Amino acid sequence: MDQTLGDFIKALRNADVRVSSTEVVDAHQVIDLVGYSSRSMLKNALALVLPKTADEKAIYDYTFDRFFKFDELDEMDMADKNQAAGEAGRDPEAGENAGQEGGGQGEGGGGGGQNNMAEAGAGGEGAPGSEDTHEQGEMRERLSALSQMVLSGDRAGLSVAMAEAGEAVGLRNIFIFTQKGLYSRRILEHMGLKALNNDITDLRKRDNANAHELAERLRKGREYLLSQVRDYVEQQFLLHADVDGSHLREDILSKSRLTNIERRDYRMVQEMVRKMAKRLIAIHSRRRKVYDRGALDIRKTMAKNHAYDGVPFDIRWKSVKIDRPKVVAICDVSGSVAKVAHFMLMFLYSLNEVMPKVRSFAFSARMGEVTDLFKDSDVETAMSKTLAEWGQGSTDYGRSLQDFAELALNDIDSRTTVIMLGDARSNYGDPGSEIMKKIYDRSKWVMWLNPEEKNTWNYADSVMRKFQPYCHQVQVCNSLTHLERIVSMVLRSSA
Amino acid sequence: MTLVKPIQGPGGKTDSIEAIQAGFEELGYITNPQIATSIYLAQNLEKPLLVEGPPGVGKTELAIATSKYLGLPLVRLQCYEGLDESKALYEWKYGKQLLYTQILRETLGEVLQGARGLSESMKRLHQFSDVFFSEQFLEERPLMKAMRAPAGAVLLIDELDKADQEFESFLLELLSEYQISIPEIGTIKATIKPIVFLTSNNTRELSDALKRRCLHLYIPFPDTALERRIIAARVPDISVKLRNELVAFIQELRGLDLKKLPAVSETIDWARTLLLLHANTLDADMVRTTLNVILKFQDDIEAVGAQLTTLTNEALKAAERPPGLK
Repeated sequence: MDQTLGDFIKALRNADVRVSSTEVVDAHQVIDLVGYSSRSMLKNALALVLPKTADEKAIYDYTFDRFFKFDELDEMDMADKNQAAGEAGRDPEAGENAGQEGGGQGEGGGGGGQNNMAEAGAGGEGAPGSEDTHEQGEMRERLSALSQMVLSGDRAGLSVAMAEAGEAVGLRNIFIFTQKGLYSRRILEHMGLKALNNDITDLRKRDNANAHELAERLRKGREYLLSQVRDYVEQQFLLHADVDGSHLREDILSKSRLTNIERRDYRMVQEMVRKMAKRLIAIHSRRRKVYDRGALDIRKTMAKNHAYDGVPFDIRWKSVKIDRPKVVAICDVSGSVAKVAHFMLMFLYSLNEVMPKVRSFAFSARMGEVTDLFKDSDVETAMSKTLAEWGQGSTDYGRSLQDFAELALNDIDSRTTVIMLGDARSNYGDPGSEIMKKIYDRSKWVMWLNPEEKNTWNYADSVMRKFQPYCHQVQVCNSLTHLERIVSMVLRSSA
Repeated sequence: MTLVKPIQGPGGKTDSIEAIQAGFEELGYITNPQIATSIYLAQNLEKPLLVEGPPGVGKTELAIATSKYLGLPLVRLQCYEGLDESKALYEWKYGKQLLYTQILRETLGEVLQGARGLSESMKRLHQFSDVFFSEQFLEERPLMKAMRAPAGAVLLIDELDKADQEFESFLLELLSEYQISIPEIGTIKATIKPIVFLTSNNTRELSDALKRRCLHLYIPFPDTALERRIIAARVPDISVKLRNELVAFIQELRGLDLKKLPAVSETIDWARTLLLLHANTLDADMVRTTLNVILKFQDDIEAVGAQLTTLTNEALKAAERPPGLK
């Protein structure tokens, strides 16, 4: 497999573009066809195969431009050089004699047009003319390969060495930002930084002006090299790693208990919940049933009526009915479950956005309908209003279910799924299980989601055992993964 | 851009991306490199091309232009909710089938004459060719027609997002294997693989399975330079000055918050309207009277009407600048 393409696809996947293996195969075919010769054509061609939505196209453009960046080290511009020369002048080690400073600056200015790194690296040298003295030439030959490359300003060579080192230390496996330092160091080690350091130390030890000067040039070059490697790692990190750690965090968040999720993560959770709702709806919302009305299905009718000598006796119909689940959600928003209720409400809100027939209710002491509130306001307002309006007071299941009976019992029919979220802690009051029985009798499915772990059910004022007989299903629900699994079940059963 | 090795396309033409661009331009369809590349790849990889973008940017036109360019017949299937395979793929000719059974009953006596016993009668019946579900009674619908076109065809499945999800899944076999299964007959393979265009206005998200099988082309609103060229190609009689002005105006409208932004088709209509009214230059009154050509909602017309003079003046200024500068 083409390594470059493979890396590029990995970078794309990292940037949240979904690339399936068939698309990878397609991409290879595209490259066989158009080749790597023209950048713009490659970009246009791959854009047809890899990203498949308008959003992904935008990400693709950005990633492509960064990935297929012209692979060379930064040119040091003139300002840098002047600065380097200036610094050299101020640096007591380098400024061996003051007369050289002017020469250095003059040269920096003159050499700017050529943008030659050797000069730039040698900015500290400040000597008129960047040619080595004969003695320096001899010294250079004894230096390590890396040192020689740095001194001669072999930018292409360094670039290649850097890429090779990156490959050797497995830079593309970088996945979190704290590894950046580690990988930079490994690359430098692989390139032979140690030898370079030794060279510098050796040169400095000598009692020789030329040697000192060469050491200084090497030091400058090393700094430049360090910054380039850092940039390179940074760039590769952005391409290959999970940049803001979002995948990792999403993974962790989806498994952690809802009560433990911090306020600052709410936004992210909200986004996850929305994604989840959308996914579930896409899977479940458009279930169809054959319906005994509509257009005549001649084929089926004829086949069926062969037995009756072709007389259309048993008539078949074509039309099918889209069956959308009807959901009634009741949510305890009292203090004890407030944190979970928050997510439940969030999810209800998302369901409301994509599903037409969700009625939502909230209760603690009394119960009220919040469907319209969810429809008309954005998620934050809807939730805070719900909590403010219905979240006061201690939980009273009996009273609340009574309210529910008045509000919506008549609306519950054999197509309705009822989701109840609560800890079933009724403060030793009447749980109102007879109303629960009515709901159970009328509806298609009743599901109770309890945020508490099973072993605390029926302990103290929890009256789960009173409700349990009137539920088709009872579930612990305290993480997003739970929530997703459960709602998927709801949608399947209610279809 | 370098020239790609020429490859024999299904239409019998050798094509490079440049040739496609030039050929389409001759037909009055101005492409950018991206669109031309998509046609090139669709031809050479033999993959269906899914075209998305706002309404009126020339998604359907692209398929039509391709059919003209390649000299292949265009088979069009307009999608709508409730579309099923009997309308898209094939149908039996029920009337004829009924007649056939009637005839069969009458001739049954002849066939079975002299047969002794039930088993022999059955044997004879089996020898009798079974034509009830056969090609003779098969009514071709667009998809089948495109598959069996003798010289290949361009198949346009228009506004796929309007059809049901079930229909989308039904298309998968066709899109990946270029074959369709008819339970009564068997599998029919395309003689020459048609070039398939699918268009979508994004009223709903198409499934991943479908997207995986297609090349995906997104056509956005054109930029100023491209739109100028499009107008020049489609309304050649219009003066350069007026053309630049009206393109600038439309480009400005697209920056506003409107219910429905004017697309290329509206720009073309507007250019034709202005030409018909013998306009030489854009002025606020002229724009006001013809605003209903480019804006299709009363709310939008009112919103734009309020700032019409400013917009017109800015458009006049922008028209003089070369495209690309803001």
